[in-house]
Amino acid sequence: MLVAELEVKVMESNVYTYKDLTPAQPLDRATLNKMVIRSLFLQASFNYERMQAAGWLYGILPGLEKIHTNKEDLAASMTHNLEFFNTHPFLVTFVMGLVLSLEQQKADIATIRAVRVAAMGPLGGIGDAIFWFTVLPIAAGITSNMAIEGNVFAPVLFLLIFNGVQFAVRYWLMYMSYDLGTSAIEVLTRNAKEFTHAASMLGVFVVGALTCNYGATTIKIEVQDGEALRSVQAILDGILPQLVPLLLTLMVYYLIKKKGWSTVKCIGLLLILGLVGAFFGIWGGAYTPFIKWY
Amino acid sequence: MIGPLQLVLILIVTFIAAIDQFNFLESLYQPIVMGPVVGAILGDVKTGLAVGGAYQLMTIGSMPVGGAQPPNAVVGGIMATVFAVASGLDVNAALGAAIPFALLGQYGVTLTFTLMSGLMAKADEHAANANPKGIDNLNYFAMGLLGLFFALATLAGVISITNPAVADFINGLEGNWIMGGLGAAGGMMRYVGFAVLMRIMLADDMWGIYFAGFALAAILGACGLGGPALILVAFVGIAIALYDYNINVAIKNAGGGAGGESDGI
Repeated sequence: MLVAELEVKVMESNVYTYKDLTPAQPLDRATLNKMVIRSLFLQASFNYERMQAAGWLYGILPGLEKIHTNKEDLAASMTHNLEFFNTHPFLVTFVMGLVLSLEQQKADIATIRAVRVAAMGPLGGIGDAIFWFTVLPIAAGITSNMAIEGNVFAPVLFLLIFNGVQFAVRYWLMYMSYDLGTSAIEVLTRNAKEFTHAASMLGVFVVGALTCNYGATTIKIEVQDGEALRSVQAILDGILPQLVPLLLTLMVYYLIKKKGWSTVKCIGLLLILGLVGAFFGIWGGAYTPFIKWY
Repeated sequence: MIGPLQLVLILIVTFIAAIDQFNFLESLYQPIVMGPVVGAILGDVKTGLAVGGAYQLMTIGSMPVGGAQPPNAVVGGIMATVFAVASGLDVNAALGAAIPFALLGQYGVTLTFTLMSGLMAKADEHAANANPKGIDNLNYFAMGLLGLFFALATLAGVISITNPAVADFINGLEGNWIMGGLGAAGGMMRYVGFAVLMRIMLADDMWGIYFAGFALAAILGACGLGGPALILVAFVGIAIALYDYNINVAIKNAGGGAGGESDGI
């Protein structure tokens, strides 16, 4: 098949199941270990649109290449694994193990996607609590005063504590979740349709929560209300919290789903919207608008 | 004064630290490590340790004193050490002098994240062609780009030691509407990611679930729960999903029973 044809087929996301449905060989330790190392670069190509998506794909590629020997299936797998992804960088191997076990068993793409989206969301808060609010302050707290006193082992000790915990967590989660996914697969395939529907519901529920939780657009405009200045954002919050992110998400959804816009076109639109809005001082943020009309 | 070899070494260290702030060990970039490393390059480990340690305590919030903190810890830590060693400033003054260049580093982050959003279409192409090498290179390119921007920010900082006009120029950029607009656009681009997931996963009967997730997160947000909110969202979401799963399996099995299978009841 021509590459262009293949591209159209995959891009349309009409691929729901893999061509080759024979489960692949279980992944060997060397490949799993390689992916733990690659997981260190989850945020390599972090970006505002899909966040860690390409880094996530980079991490699981050695496994995917082993699993999907058929080029068309590899393309389908790589494509769906390039969708929006964001989780805690130190806990990502948990999601990796689950997804790889499903890929290896050639589960439905919809099932794999649903599990991926459902698992990535909650890990963010857990990871922050473990690493940024616990391990880092402890490691830095112990060693900072040593450093101020001129002890050259302070940075070494700091790195040992922090990375000891980090690597233990990364390896343990990878093996634990890969086994978990493998042992759950039998139950999953028996009621695959029902499971996918339920997991998709969980995924959609999480995306709804992400829209609110990650929504980062605010309005800077303030209007004169008698004597006092009233911020438009406060008025909007009185109607519905995070109304602007919700409306923008629904707008982009409409453009993609009903108008057939590509993601690049949407990004271009948002870039213009952001710049024009800042020019007139509409969007919130610490900057001085070019024209302040209110 | 800073010699050419020292300058090159500092730029290389910055390049690595810039990548490390989001990748790899995600701890090499911390001031407590960068301080002594940069101090060693400049021939004064002791001052480097002192600056790094003090700045580290400030970043974890357990140091009561200290003025304004640089907006980016990588450039902040490196430049503060450079200023402390090369210009003999004390810790607070050195951190203050580092602020414009840390700001420059932060602009580099915004710029990289924006540019890489545009390159995701290229990544899609590599995926559709089943080309793992293309994905690898895209990731390496992005890291190199970020490292380069940060090295340039540090270079500007080193130049400013002999030419103070550089710092004034960068300070003039602060609050610029173009950077504000890029930041606002950056905050919006994730909605594209959400929309793509919704287009694929959201069957028409699931709109209620989407808004329910949104509502729950809004309520938890109003309670002041940031990070843990998504864990609580998962609890409720899993409950709904399990219920849906059990009901549908039960319906399927009941249907199967009517088709002639007997459970012996």
